[in-house]
Amino acid sequence: MNADSLITENNEKRKQLNNENKKIYEDMLIYIRLAYQKSEQETEEILMELLDHMLIMQEQGNDISGLVGEDPKQYADEIIDELPKSLTKKRVELLFMGLFHFFGVSMLFTGLIQSVMYYGFGRWEGTKTYYLGSGAVLSILSVGIVFAVVYFCIEYLKWTCFKNMNRILDFILSGFIFGILPFSVFLGIYYFMPEFGPSVTVPIYSLILIGILFLGVGIWLLKKGKRGRE
Amino acid sequence: MTIRSQLLKGILEGCILAIISKETVYGYELAMKLQQHGLDVSEGSIYPLLLRLQKEKCIEGEMRKSANGPNRKYYKLTTEGENALEQFKQNWQRLKLPVDQLLKEEG
Repeated sequence: MNADSLITENNEKRKQLNNENKKIYEDMLIYIRLAYQKSEQETEEILMELLDHMLIMQEQGNDISGLVGEDPKQYADEIIDELPKSLTKKRVELLFMGLFHFFGVSMLFTGLIQSVMYYGFGRWEGTKTYYLGSGAVLSILSVGIVFAVVYFCIEYLKWTCFKNMNRILDFILSGFIFGILPFSVFLGIYYFMPEFGPSVTVPIYSLILIGILFLGVGIWLLKKGKRGRE
Repeated sequence: MTIRSQLLKGILEGCILAIISKETVYGYELAMKLQQHGLDVSEGSIYPLLLRLQKEKCIEGEMRKSANGPNRKYYKLTTEGENALEQFKQNWQRLKLPVDQLLKEEG
């Protein structure tokens, strides 16, 4: 059974847990899945084993602390420690998949919005000028920001596991850390970056085409990754 | 990790290998068998050990349908696992007698 079908089965089976056990199990599930450097297949297999074990215990009226101990987080850490790492090749593929998606989507949207403004309303310009020097620096910085946001997002989610967070506080905090803050930094960099390096001027519709091409490669990598897991 | 828990984990690993060498089992079954043999360990402690034994290629897990329905991951011993079990038996024999004797003299 591949990871995807294990996840589907897990989603169904988990509903049989009572509320108290479900809270503990789902915290462990999120926390263990967030250990992104681990083999997905092995992760899903052990999660299924733990779920099966809990369901039997619940059926027999036993307390699941017999399985996860008094400190479920510590137990989850023990499991993560022993999980095998995913292959380096897969991690590199995942990285490129992310990059192609990111650049594909941002170019596609820039191209679409500008095209609508130019061809539809006669506003803005029909071409876009890129300065290779500042363009390269901006690309690297924005990818850096995206990775930093993803990284802190994962760490933040891990931190919220096994805690009873106030939902409103959680909403404000995460909205600020992962939305407003990085977006402001990004806008700031974009605004203050001086233009340097040789310039290239391209018609805006070509951005749409390049965007679609990049996105296509990204989707292809995603599908390839999924096939590899079967 | 403390020496105490290291020692216990080592012994528990040997016991897990011994049980799996007799028959293929899934996680819950294994926990029950250990308890039946009077090894009163926390049921959860077997899963990190099963993962480690898989990483060391001593055992192999396979997801398949169980007699009464759901898919379960069944574990079986590999050749390397058999060697590890043999090694454990020898170590245990070498350790058991002197420790027993020492404790008897103490008492």
